[in-house]
Amino acid sequence: MEVIIPITVLGSLGLLFGLGLAVASKRFCVVVDPKLEKILTCLPGANCGVCGKPGCMAFAQSLIKGEVSLDSCRAIEEKEKEKVAETLGVKLEKKVKQVAVLRCGGGKKVKERFQYNGLQDCIAADMVLRGQKECVYGCLGFGTCAEVCPFDAISMSEEGLPVVDFEKCRACGKCVEICPKGLFALIPVTGRVILACSSHEIGRNTREVCPVGCITCRKCEKVCPVDAIHVVDNLAVIDYNKCTSCGECVKACPTNAIIKV
Amino acid sequence: MEISAILSIIIGMVFVNNFVLSKFLGLCPFLGVSRNTKSALSMGLAVIFVMSLSGFITWLVYRFILVPLDLIYLRTIVFILVIASFVQFVEMVIRKMSPAIYRALGIYLPLITTNCAVLGVTVLNVNKFFANGKSLPGSFVLSLLQSFFAGVGFTLALILMSGIRERLDLNDVPKSLAGIPIAFIVASLMSLAFMGFNGFRF
Repeated sequence: MEVIIPITVLGSLGLLFGLGLAVASKRFCVVVDPKLEKILTCLPGANCGVCGKPGCMAFAQSLIKGEVSLDSCRAIEEKEKEKVAETLGVKLEKKVKQVAVLRCGGGKKVKERFQYNGLQDCIAADMVLRGQKECVYGCLGFGTCAEVCPFDAISMSEEGLPVVDFEKCRACGKCVEICPKGLFALIPVTGRVILACSSHEIGRNTREVCPVGCITCRKCEKVCPVDAIHVVDNLAVIDYNKCTSCGECVKACPTNAIIKV
Repeated sequence: MEISAILSIIIGMVFVNNFVLSKFLGLCPFLGVSRNTKSALSMGLAVIFVMSLSGFITWLVYRFILVPLDLIYLRTIVFILVIASFVQFVEMVIRKMSPAIYRALGIYLPLITTNCAVLGVTVLNVNKFFANGKSLPGSFVLSLLQSFFAGVGFTLALILMSGIRERLDLNDVPKSLAGIPIAFIVASLMSLAFMGFNGFRF
C-alpha cells in the first residue's frame, strides 16, 4: 500500500504536466511560413552579415516581407539563387560571378623595416608606423583576411601571402573590408589579368623595396591592343569592361607585377 | 516578518552564499555563457526569471501536495519534473507572446531546464522554511525573495566572470592554459574572494 501513493502522485503529476504541455504546444504554436524554411535551406548559412541583416534567418524573413533584394546576398550560389527566386516568385537578372583577388605580390620578398612583436593581426600591425614591411602599401601577411573569410576560401601561402580559392570564394567582400591596406578587389572571374601591386610610390622607390612591384614603366599601356590599361597615380589600372584577357601586358611587364589569375 | 530577516536573505543569497562562488551550483552555464557580457546578462535575467517562478510553483507543490501526503522524500524528482515542464511551458508562451523577449532569452531557457542551481534554490527554500512538516510563518514570501536573490547572485557572478573573460581573450595566455583552464583558475580566485563575505554572519 505504501508504494501506491507515491507512484500515483508522481504518475499523475507527470501525466498532468505532460497533458498541460501538449495543450500548450497546440495553443501557443507559432506558425512558420513554409517559404521560410525553403529559402533558408538555399541560403549559404554562413551568417556572414554582408546583406546587412543579422544572419541568414533574418535575411530570409526580410526577403519574404520584400524589404530586401536577393542581390544583397553575395554569397549565394547561382542555382540556389534561382530556387529562391522561384519560391519568392520574382525574376532574376544574370550576373557574372565575381571573386576576390589580392593586389600585392610582395610577401616575403619584401624586407621588414623593424621587428614587430605585437598582436599577430594585420589591423594591429598597421597601426604601428603602417606596418613592419618596407613597402607601406603591401600585404603584412598576418592572415587577418584568412581568419575573417566565412567560406574558408583564403589560405596563407609559404610566401606569406593570402591565396584565394576561386572555387570557394563567393565574393562576399569581407576580406575587402577588413584588409587595412585595402589590397583585395572583387573582379569578374573569367580568366582575367590583374596588377598584383598597390604601391602608389614612384617607380624608383617601389623597385628599391620590392622585386615584383609596379614601377610605372608604362609598357603595358603601350602594348595593350584594346587600350584597357592606363597608369593612374603611379599604378596601372585595368578596365575590365575593355580587357579581353589577351595576356600581352603579362608578357610585357618587366617586373612580373601583372599576372593572370 | 522582520526587516532583518529580509535583509539577511538578500545579502546572504547575493554575496555570502552566492550560488556559483560559494555553493558551486550552476557551474556549467557559469563557464559556458560567460564569454561576453551581453549574453551573460541575458542568461542572468533568464535565470532570475526562472528561479523566481520555480520558487513560487515548487512552494505550492510542496505545501499542498507533498507535505499533506507525507511524500517529502519525493521532492527532488517532483521538483525536477515541475521545473522542466514549467520552463518548457514558459518558452512556448513567450515565443508566442513576445518574439523580442524570445530572441533575447529564448536560447538560454532550454539551458536552464535542468540547471542544478534552480533545483538547488527550490530545495534550499523548503529546507529553510519548512520545519517538522509545517511551513514557518511568512515562508511563502521569504522563499520567493530567496529565489529571486539567488538569481541575482548568479547573475552577478556571471557578469563579473564575463567581464574578466573578455579581457582574458586579449591577453597572452600560455597555450596549455588558454580557454577553459584559465577560466577555472579565475573562477577559483573569484570564489576565494567571495569567501571573504563569510565574515558577515547574521
